[in-house]
Amino acid sequence: MNQVLIAVFALVGAASFSSRIEVVAASAVVACGATWFVDRDALRRVLRVGLLLGLVFAAAAAGAAVAWASGLDRGLFIGATVLLRLVVLVTVAAVVARSVDAEGILAAMSRMGMERLGLVFGLALNCLPHLNETASTVWAAHRIRSGGRWAAIGRLPSLAEVLLAHTGRVADQAAAAAALRGHGALARPVTPLAPKVRTVVVTGSPGAGKTPLLESTADELRNRGFVVAGFLQPAIIENGAKIGFRIRDVASSEVRDLARRVAEGEGNFGTSFSFSEDGFELGRRALNSVPPGSILIIDELGPVELRGGGHWPAVDRALRSFDIAGLVVVVRRTLVPALVEALDAADVVVVDLEEVDGDAVTEVVEALRGEAPIRPSINAIVTDA
Amino acid sequence: MKDLRPWTHAALYGALWGALEATAGTALHLGRVPFRGEIMGLFGLVCLVCLRRLQPKVGVVLVAGSTAIFLKIFTLGGLYPGPLVGIGIQTLAVEFGFIVARGPWAAAIGGIIAFGTNPVQRVITAWIVSGTEAATAVLRAVGELGGIDPRLVLAGFVSLAASMGAVGGVWAWRLAGRVERRLRGGP
Repeated sequence: MNQVLIAVFALVGAASFSSRIEVVAASAVVACGATWFVDRDALRRVLRVGLLLGLVFAAAAAGAAVAWASGLDRGLFIGATVLLRLVVLVTVAAVVARSVDAEGILAAMSRMGMERLGLVFGLALNCLPHLNETASTVWAAHRIRSGGRWAAIGRLPSLAEVLLAHTGRVADQAAAAAALRGHGALARPVTPLAPKVRTVVVTGSPGAGKTPLLESTADELRNRGFVVAGFLQPAIIENGAKIGFRIRDVASSEVRDLARRVAEGEGNFGTSFSFSEDGFELGRRALNSVPPGSILIIDELGPVELRGGGHWPAVDRALRSFDIAGLVVVVRRTLVPALVEALDAADVVVVDLEEVDGDAVTEVVEALRGEAPIRPSINAIVTDA
Repeated sequence: MKDLRPWTHAALYGALWGALEATAGTALHLGRVPFRGEIMGLFGLVCLVCLRRLQPKVGVVLVAGSTAIFLKIFTLGGLYPGPLVGIGIQTLAVEFGFIVARGPWAAAIGGIIAFGTNPVQRVITAWIVSGTEAATAVLRAVGELGGIDPRLVLAGFVSLAASMGAVGGVWAWRLAGRVERRLRGGP
């Protein structure tokens, strides 16, 4: 809608609040006429029987009250004025609602420095059809389970509970999806690492042995004469369950606790782990002095790092400050696309432990030397991102 | 808010409120159902209290309220002042409640302010749309039919609505607790 029309509709809307009925009537005629030329669908939307009856009812109520207080003539006058005013307001509302581009609003919010709020609106818009559909499905299931419509209405609190819990789950999934995409605006902005050397991304399912593989790879690299720096994050296992992580400096072998599993909702950074600042400090020290020509091992970068937190700043600083010969990064499988995007590296090879036929250590070392094949399935994962 | 979840929760609970306004709100409005404002207010209160219980961050309720207003204006075609003012006041009321108190008290305070201001907000909206004469006449008619001072009638409505808000707030808090246990697998 161009600016002239916006001005016309704004004027018409303002004029409808005049106390003179001829001005209000004229504004109603202009509003309906302009809408007829600009957006006939909007006018059809206004001229629905249900809506018009509602307007008439509201105007009649106001008119009746005034007629009772000040006489029939005055009541009729007020009723007619209110009806015409409501017609103008509803018409202007219909045109504005159909003409204003939500994308434009989001762009405008971005320009005003409220990008996060714009993204929240965008997410809400995207989720609206899903929530509507879910509400219908949940209602149908609730009605069947309750044995009829009236019994279902009697058990509305349990329906609300299900719907609210479902909404919470979708919100959690949306947060995870935003983290997976390394969404720079909903999360803290992530500076791409942009390593200038060959980068090997080691991945695999949880428990596939990524950390032990990196320990063996570090030993193999040392045997071949490389200097190895960085850190490993071995799991802390108690009674067969993973309850946290330690961090070990690859060069000095110093070990600290990094994270412990805590009750849901009590973790840091939106995870179920409580992180120790001591652990992060050791990670920073491990990356503070990297000899030239080293192979840098980072085990691992997770959702926290992909949101710009955790080890990310230290890794970023190390890659910018030191002249390394190669980089090995561990990441869980679902985060491979997000990491590859956040790395913004010119030369990346992904090694998936479950797809390695022979010796995984040899595969990683060969990948660092540029001799390993790039596997098609991993390519597909990366392309999907 | 470095964690993403308060933002996504605010978006989703704001969207849920917006969706309820679009479906149930429209149906109640067109059906001229009595207490439709209070019914929709309760839906909004439940969404906001649940959101604040799941994500106890200052400002999260304001984001959800802004989202609901955004959806109401730009997707649902609602430029009518009443619901927009109602959503705005309710959002501020719940946020205020959770700033000055905690737990069910916060929800009750939010509910009292949100519901208590509802009749006043309606009178103001009627004043805007119908003019002072009609709004005054309605108040006078209601008062004289019952033989009571119009100001007392309004005060009565405000007290009744505020009581409903207090009960609704506490109920919403308890419901949010059940939702929390459902999501987090607690007892």
